[in-house]
Amino acid sequence: MAETLGNLAVGFGVALSPPVLFYAFVGCVVGTLVGVLPGVGPLAGISLLLPATFGLDATRAIVMLAGIYYGAMYGGSTTSILMRIPGEAASVMTCIDGYAMARKGRAGAALAIAAVGSYVAGTVSVVALMLLAPPLAAFALRFGPPEYFALLTLGLLVLAYMSSGSMLKALAMAALGLLLGMIGIDQMTGYFRFAYGIVELGDGIGVVPVAVGLFGLAEILATAGQPTPPEIVKPRLRELLPSRQEWRESAWPIGRGTVLGFLIGIVPGSAHIIASFVSYAVERKLAKRPEEFGRGAVAGVAGPESANNSATSGAFVPMLALGVPSGPIPAVMLAALMVHGVSPGPLLVTQQPELFWGFIASMYVGNVVLLILNLPLVGVFVNLLRVPYPILYPSILVFCILGVYAVNSSVVDIWIMLVMGALGYVLRKLDFETAPIVLGVVLAPMLEMALRQSLAMSDGRYAIFVARPISGVLLAGAGALVLLGLRPLVTRTLDWRARLALAAKGEEHP
Amino acid sequence: MLTTDRVAGGALVLLALFTLWESRRLPLGSLRQPGPAGAPVVLALVLLGLGAVLVLTGRRATALAGVGFPEWRHAVAILAVCAFAALALERLGYRATVTLALACLLGVVERKGIVFTAVFSLALALASFLLFDTLLRVPLPRGPLGL
Amino acid sequence: MTLARVCALVPCLLLAAAAAAQEPYPTRPIALVVPFPPGGVADLTARPVAAALEKVLKAPVGVVNKQGAAGAVGMQSVATSRPDGYTLLLALSSISIIPEADKLFGRPPAFTVDQFAPIALISADPTILVVPADKPWKTAKEFIEDAQKRPGQIAFSSSGVYGTLHMAMELLSHAAGIKLRHVPYAGAGPALTAILGGHVDALASGPAVVLPHIKSGKLRPLGGWGDKRVAALPDVPTFAELGYRGAEFYIWAGVFAPTGTPEPVLAKLRDAARAAVEEPAFKAATDKLETPIVFKQGEEFRRFFEADARRLGEGVRRVGKVETQ
Repeated sequence: MAETLGNLAVGFGVALSPPVLFYAFVGCVVGTLVGVLPGVGPLAGISLLLPATFGLDATRAIVMLAGIYYGAMYGGSTTSILMRIPGEAASVMTCIDGYAMARKGRAGAALAIAAVGSYVAGTVSVVALMLLAPPLAAFALRFGPPEYFALLTLGLLVLAYMSSGSMLKALAMAALGLLLGMIGIDQMTGYFRFAYGIVELGDGIGVVPVAVGLFGLAEILATAGQPTPPEIVKPRLRELLPSRQEWRESAWPIGRGTVLGFLIGIVPGSAHIIASFVSYAVERKLAKRPEEFGRGAVAGVAGPESANNSATSGAFVPMLALGVPSGPIPAVMLAALMVHGVSPGPLLVTQQPELFWGFIASMYVGNVVLLILNLPLVGVFVNLLRVPYPILYPSILVFCILGVYAVNSSVVDIWIMLVMGALGYVLRKLDFETAPIVLGVVLAPMLEMALRQSLAMSDGRYAIFVARPISGVLLAGAGALVLLGLRPLVTRTLDWRARLALAAKGEEHP
Repeated sequence: MLTTDRVAGGALVLLALFTLWESRRLPLGSLRQPGPAGAPVVLALVLLGLGAVLVLTGRRATALAGVGFPEWRHAVAILAVCAFAALALERLGYRATVTLALACLLGVVERKGIVFTAVFSLALALASFLLFDTLLRVPLPRGPLGL
Repeated sequence: MTLARVCALVPCLLLAAAAAAQEPYPTRPIALVVPFPPGGVADLTARPVAAALEKVLKAPVGVVNKQGAAGAVGMQSVATSRPDGYTLLLALSSISIIPEADKLFGRPPAFTVDQFAPIALISADPTILVVPADKPWKTAKEFIEDAQKRPGQIAFSSSGVYGTLHMAMELLSHAAGIKLRHVPYAGAGPALTAILGGHVDALASGPAVVLPHIKSGKLRPLGGWGDKRVAALPDVPTFAELGYRGAEFYIWAGVFAPTGTPEPVLAKLRDAARAAVEEPAFKAATDKLETPIVFKQGEEFRRFFEADARRLGEGVRRVGKVETQ
């Protein structure tokens, strides 16, 4: 412990030296700029900006990348809340309640809560990263395909709690999403599935164009042509900050989101988008008034935003402790290290203490810089809502196209966004929710791959799922959840969804 | 009676049937070793079931006639501009494509003044290019003449 | 301005572009397409190459990442681009595997190898065989003998079916007459994570990636696929030394142009590539990556490329379609 603190002091010595601090600041600003682009989150942000850091020395480059990474993450929530355009795929859940808050004039509060939630999650997870990385990393590596399959199954069950409408419709949308996720090369056998000769579909349809299309473009399509533009209550200056009640309601979700996100994040290969979905479901399940979700519940912003942030930090655990590229973001970071002649690996901490602890310290610093940067920006961003919609939406559309294209330099992604936008628009008209589609598209390829890898490992024996302790426990948990879900059928009590439907009917036919 | 749920359910059933038909070309595999068609077929069957239930129970949902599409002209225009952008982006380059797309939306669809349209479109296209391509080195496509 | 007028402008712009082509090469920026995401081996090789080429050719050379479908997306886009020397490709060994796999599945190939004119080979890294340090095999011989006794029982991870790491293992399996169990992962990173987590028993990998884990004692190297031993691992024999012929395999990186690029432009690019690899900045950059420069150009590169493509083509055909009953 004392040793850790001593090392951390060395790290802060590096991170707070003026030139390094300058690069951290530049990284944060640049990351925020790129992160505000629809669809561009931390992964796309650091991949796009990686080349810009090649000219720097190793410590500065890594510190700047850490800044970019946090900046892109903070930037992701802005467009989600203000315009219902997911700033990154993982902000999809923020779109729902964040935008509902904005329509009620609470955009400032939502942005502030998102920033504070990200700050808390970011800082807490760095502390956890620093203190617990070695034991956690050893645990994380025990997650092979069977464990991963069990975890994803658990994630899929969460679906049931995601939607505020009918369970049947939510399941149908999830099935549609899962089926869309089947497009692309089958990674186990190399067959092209449903690609019709379009090579770009080989990797499947990306979650970024799907999320931006189903949420962002669909929103524009549904709003732009309305005779009177959507009424958004323009907030007054003193209403920019969250009220005391909003703070109270978001404190626990931020805490839970942080822990949940971190735990999901350390599992190799897991996507942080799952953390935000799970957090949303958990918050709704625990909420006193679940019917508020979807209509501007502050917990629906606080939880997922924190979970998303700490999940991405959690992904660094195996990278820093063992030098393993356990996810796409750590992989890019490791590549950056290699470019600078630092061989990443288990010996990194002892061989390059300034770099390692400088990186850790600059993650603290980056979070503080971003909080300072973002809170005043809340006022600026909220004023964007004053721009008349007929001028605002063409500009947003351009940024949607730019963001979706930039992630892969692929025009096919723009076409996917277009199709998904049209689909989202029609589904909205037919009163279907689209968030389960996004979850399905993310989960399908991972779930299928994990299942088939497990079977390849065990030579076709399904016993592998229960014989391995972690996956056995997770699957038992999933089974328990299903049983809990079936309970209302047996006891015949109405759950809140049914009550809500009854209440709505009562209003219609008094 | 046609309701929203029934229309959607019907569409899902059709999609599921289409997927099943298209999966015939891929090996199904076995339970011990599922092939490339395994997961799509299972999912299509699930979707088929859910769609069918939606059609059967959808009697009480909102009537399709009750759903208005008053904004369809705008929606089609916006989709057309997106399609133009997808077609033109790598042929005309980012700046030309974005200027044209914005000019089309602002000038033709929203009927803003010609001066405002021209200035705003060009300024946004050039500024975003400068910021992302030139300063942040996110490579954006250039058209003929390096535009 | 009406939509019709806007559309009328488009062809004019295109005509103007065609007129600008008749000047000494290069007059405008060159794009070096990398068909893999930023931060991957190909990308890390391409960036110093681009920087060095820029200095030699005195024209901007930009790296464009066009990833997707294991590289097929970017390779196809270069194969079908205008052969004017302004669109180049930095490809890895997989360029000869993808068309073979397409042929195997009877689908129209995304591209064929004769759509590319080789310019220069930049690096060629032999893969090495690693196993977790807690496994019993101390030498390649022990590993292979055990695999002969238990066909299909020893599992290896790979970067994907028909990927480079899969093909390396396949060439060895064929040469040694063994059968291993293949568990594909979505990329080289996850494949490495899998072996470190003990979920599989073996992995073929480029040396740079696994060296730190060998040094820390987590993985044990058993053999190499090259014709020479890897400099950083002088005690690890090659499979050729051990008598397994025909298993030679390299993860190489080379620069290509679309076929039909005028010969003067190709000649200029070949000279530029030779000058580029001799730039001190380039040498410093590749030293950091621990990838030795192996430079070949012209006829020499063509021979290497063709021999490699033949070996890999046979490998793909031998694997065949993955069996499903």
